[in-house]
This record gives sequence, C-alpha cells and structure tokens, in this order.
Amino acid sequence: MTSAMTRMVARLLLLPTLITAVAILVKGYTQPGDGFSAGVVASLGVLLQLMVFGREEAEKIPGVRQAGTLAFVGLLAALGLAVWPLLLGDAVLTHYPPPGAKVLHFGTLEFITAVLFDCAIFVLVFGFVVGTVGAISRAIEDADEQEAP
Amino acid sequence: MTGAALLPLSVLVPWVLAASLALADGRRPLVAWVSVVGIGAGFACVMGLTFAVLRGGPVEMVAGGWPEGVGITLRADALGVTFAAVSVGVILASLVYEVLGGVRSRTFPALVAFMAAGLTGLFLTGDAFNFYVFFEISMTAAYALTGYREKDYQVRAAFIFAVINLLGSVIFLIAVAALYHVTGTLDMEVMARRAAGVQPSSIISIAVAVLVAFSLKLGLFPFHFWLPAVYVGSHPPVAAILSGALANIGGYGLLRFGADVLPRELELGTAAVLVLGTASIIYGALQAISRQETAEVLAYSAIGQAGYILVAIGIGGPVAYAAAVVYAVVNSLNKALLFLAAGGRGRLVGAAFAVGAFSVVGVPPAAGFVAKLAMFRASVEAGSVALTALIFLGGALSFVYAFQIYQRIYWTPEDGKRKAGPLPARILVGLLAVLILAAGLWPEPLLVLGEAAAGVLEGR
Repeated sequence: MTSAMTRMVARLLLLPTLITAVAILVKGYTQPGDGFSAGVVASLGVLLQLMVFGREEAEKIPGVRQAGTLAFVGLLAALGLAVWPLLLGDAVLTHYPPPGAKVLHFGTLEFITAVLFDCAIFVLVFGFVVGTVGAISRAIEDADEQEAP
Repeated sequence: MTGAALLPLSVLVPWVLAASLALADGRRPLVAWVSVVGIGAGFACVMGLTFAVLRGGPVEMVAGGWPEGVGITLRADALGVTFAAVSVGVILASLVYEVLGGVRSRTFPALVAFMAAGLTGLFLTGDAFNFYVFFEISMTAAYALTGYREKDYQVRAAFIFAVINLLGSVIFLIAVAALYHVTGTLDMEVMARRAAGVQPSSIISIAVAVLVAFSLKLGLFPFHFWLPAVYVGSHPPVAAILSGALANIGGYGLLRFGADVLPRELELGTAAVLVLGTASIIYGALQAISRQETAEVLAYSAIGQAGYILVAIGIGGPVAYAAAVVYAVVNSLNKALLFLAAGGRGRLVGAAFAVGAFSVVGVPPAAGFVAKLAMFRASVEAGSVALTALIFLGGALSFVYAFQIYQRIYWTPEDGKRKAGPLPARILVGLLAVLILAAGLWPEPLLVLGEAAAGVLEGR
C-alpha cells in the first residue's frame, strides 16, 4: 500500500495533468495542436493513478477500461482524416480550410481539420499507452493470483 | 484508376483494414475472410500501381499538398512497386493458407494486415525517416506473429527476435540521423543528390551502419546467429511471411540505400560486400546440408540465398542490379512455396515442394532457373571466373539440401498415412508451384520488372 502523502499528491495531480494535456492538444509548439505530446502527458497522469491506487481504482476514470479499443478508434479516425481529401481530389493529409483562407475562431482556438487529426492522434497515443500498461498490470495480477492460493 | 489514386490507396487499404480488424475476433471465419478480401484489394491496388509505373514512369504524391522538399513524399518507382507487389502477394497467399486451415488466434488477421501496411509503406515511401517508421511497424507485427501459438519456445524466439531487431533499429536510426546531419534532408532523392557532392569519407561510416543495421535485422551473414531459432519456432504461414515478404526489406534496403542513395560508398565497399555475399552463400549452404529439421534447413538456405543478392549488388551495374531484383523476387516466391508446402503432406504438396526445391536449385523450367541465369550473366559481365564458379557451387550445394528435405518428408513410407490437411490449402500450394513454373516458362514479365527496377538505380 502506498503512503497517504503519495496518494494525496497523485490525486491532486490528475486534474492539472489532464488540463495541461488538453491545452497542448489544441495549441502545440508552433500553433495547431500536438496530439502526440498531449496523449503522452494525459496517459502519464492516468498511469500515476494506476501505480498509486491500483488498476481497479484507475479504471473508474472514463476511457481507461476501454483503452485498447480507443487506440484503434483513434487510428481509424486518423486514417479516415488522412484519406478524406482523396475523395475531394486533393493529396493525402490535406487540411481544410487551406492556407490563407479565413479560419473560424473560438477565442484562440482555431477550427481546422489539423486539430481534428491531432485529436485522433491523442486518442491513439492515450489508448495505446494506457492499454499496454493496463494489459501488463493485468498479466502481473493474474500471475500473482495463480501463486497466491 | 490512375497511378496517382492507386499510390495512396495501396498504402491506406491495408492500414484501414489492420486498424478495423484489430477490433474484431480473427478466429471467426467472417472476419478471417474479410481480411483476405481486404489484403486482396490491397494487392490489386499494388498490381495496378505496378502496371501504371511500368507504363508511365514513377508516381509521386506529397502528403498535404505541400511543395516538394517540404512535405513527406510517397514515391512509387519500378524498384519499389516490384518489391511491394511480391511481398503483398506472398502475404496474401500465406493468409489464405492459414484461413483455409482455420485461424487459431484472434489477432492473426490484424497482424498480417499490419505487416502488409508496413511493407507497402516502406517500399513506396520516398522519405528515409518514414522508411524507418514503416520498417518498425512491419517488424513489430513480425515479433507478434513469431509468438503466434504461444508455445514456450515460440515466445522465446519472439523475444530473441525483438531484442536483436531493436538493436538493429537503434543502429539504423543513428544512420538516418547522421544522413540527415550530413545532407540536411530526409527525402531520399534529394539525399542522393546531396550525398553525391560530399566527400565519401564522411559518409562511409554511415553506409557501414546502414549495412550492419539491415544485416542484423534480416539475418545476413555474419549477423545471422538468431535467425534459425526464430524460424524453427514459427508456424508455416508465419515462416512464409517472414522469409518471403519481410526478408525482402534486406534486398530492397541495400539496393535503395546502397545503389540508389549512396552509390559511391557502395563502390568503395565492393570488396566487403562481395566477400560477405560469398561467405553467406557457402556458409548458408553447408549449414543447411548439415541440419535435420526442415525449418532449420530452410532458415540456413535463406541465409545462403541472401548471399546471391549481396553478390549481385557487389558486382554493380545495370545487369547485376536487374539480376539482384529478379533473384529477390524469385527467392521470395520460392521461400513462400517451400515453407507453406513443408507444413502439409500428401502427393500434391510433395510435388509442389519438389517444384520449389528445383526452383531454389535453379533447374529449368522453374523460375529459379531464370534467376540463376541472370546471376550467371551478371558474373560473366563482370568477367570474374571465381564468381561464376561460386554461383555454380552454390547451386550444386543447394541441390543437396533441397533434396535431403524432400527425401525426409515425402519419401518416407508414413507419408501417405499422415493427415494431409485441408484440400483447398493443398490446392493453394499447388497453385503457387504452378505460378513458379509459369514464371520460369514465360520469364518476360520478370525480366522486364528487373530491368525497369535496375533502370531506376542507373537513372541518377
């Protein structure tokens, strides 16, 4: 069992980590988002919960139990966004609106398909990391259970 | 459809298929057949692209419509499409074989689709870093496939495979980073142009790193120590995919990075490449003769056959490059046939195995004859008696091991009594054998492909 201090810090850190992840998701290093980094940050936040509180507790966070499925949904969404321009006669991975065109704003958030693509990458990375570590922890638990009785 | 549409489709079809299949249970026949149809569609795209490229020259697409040099390019030239078509074809045949026999793991179809996605991407990319990424995707699928039936020794083999390959990855990644450092680009075409203007001494160490990385990952001599362990553990269709499709990366990588991007450095290293190739041919053949188990014999045979490709690359020039491509294509068909046939029993499969064995040896009318002939032409062109003798010797040795296996499997009295496996799977193996015979009887397409691919390398 982890100490009370560790548990408190872990609990306190979860929300700020996720908010940081969302911030990176919509605004990456040089503008439009960075789904990969955001995915890594968010999954690190969740992995901390997994380490400190155990798998059962961590699975109460939405999306953690279905992480494996999420990874492939993210991959499919990203691929879909990559293929879509082909149907419109453009090169793969073309983003809309094109450079120079007027972009819809919501505060500093810009509505362009590149951000959507990053969201898909975010889901993919988050799902993969959390899913893989979850699977490993499940395998360890199974092995422990076999030894215990 | 035009090449411009087929190029992205060839890469994307297996990708989308792989991601969707990963969510389904591959043991269900419906899912398994969907995977066959999907890979079949991918194969059709690659074949269409091959015709488009042969007729109309290379096809290029820059992702995102960025100007060239900024965006990441997909580039299909004759060399890339040849390897892509053969690899996806072998994957399709192995997948059909497994599906006919009944898939036993829920992830098998998805892994095979990921392998196809990685390989088509790798052969059709024009970007060195993307090459690395696709390389890793197909390798990751390969580790998982090696552990397919989850027996202890298979998991052990998969572990060895993964560790060795990650080591190779690190070396390759360092080489790509170093190439970027020297040339300032990751686009292979631009890289080739800029590398030509740099002192070879500053690139030769990078070229060595590339050679070592490919040799390590694909088990070329003297980095082959892990290869037999992996093949002995694996299931026939998996071995066919590893040897007939994945191993093509070695030949392709050496042709692309050696002959295409770094030709001067390859020329400097001619002696080393020739010695390695010669050693592989002799060592692989002798080891194969001394082994008992079929999978082990075929694994050592693979080391020997890779030697021929190395020798052809070492000789250099249009004739030898064409020979290397033809040899690689025929070799992957042979290996697919032999591994699939070795998994079955009965008269039809035995005959198919014999065709494959004849093809490895280079006896007409099997396709192997065309490949050996191309090698002879290359060695005669090079004016080297020693190389010509070597190729003859290699052929003679392969005759010994190929028929040792044939004897051991099919000439035993029990052969008729053992379970023969499902008839459709046996027919599939027979069809592969017919394909190899047909390619030997009508070698035109094979030779045209080889020459077109060599033309890419000489075009610079």
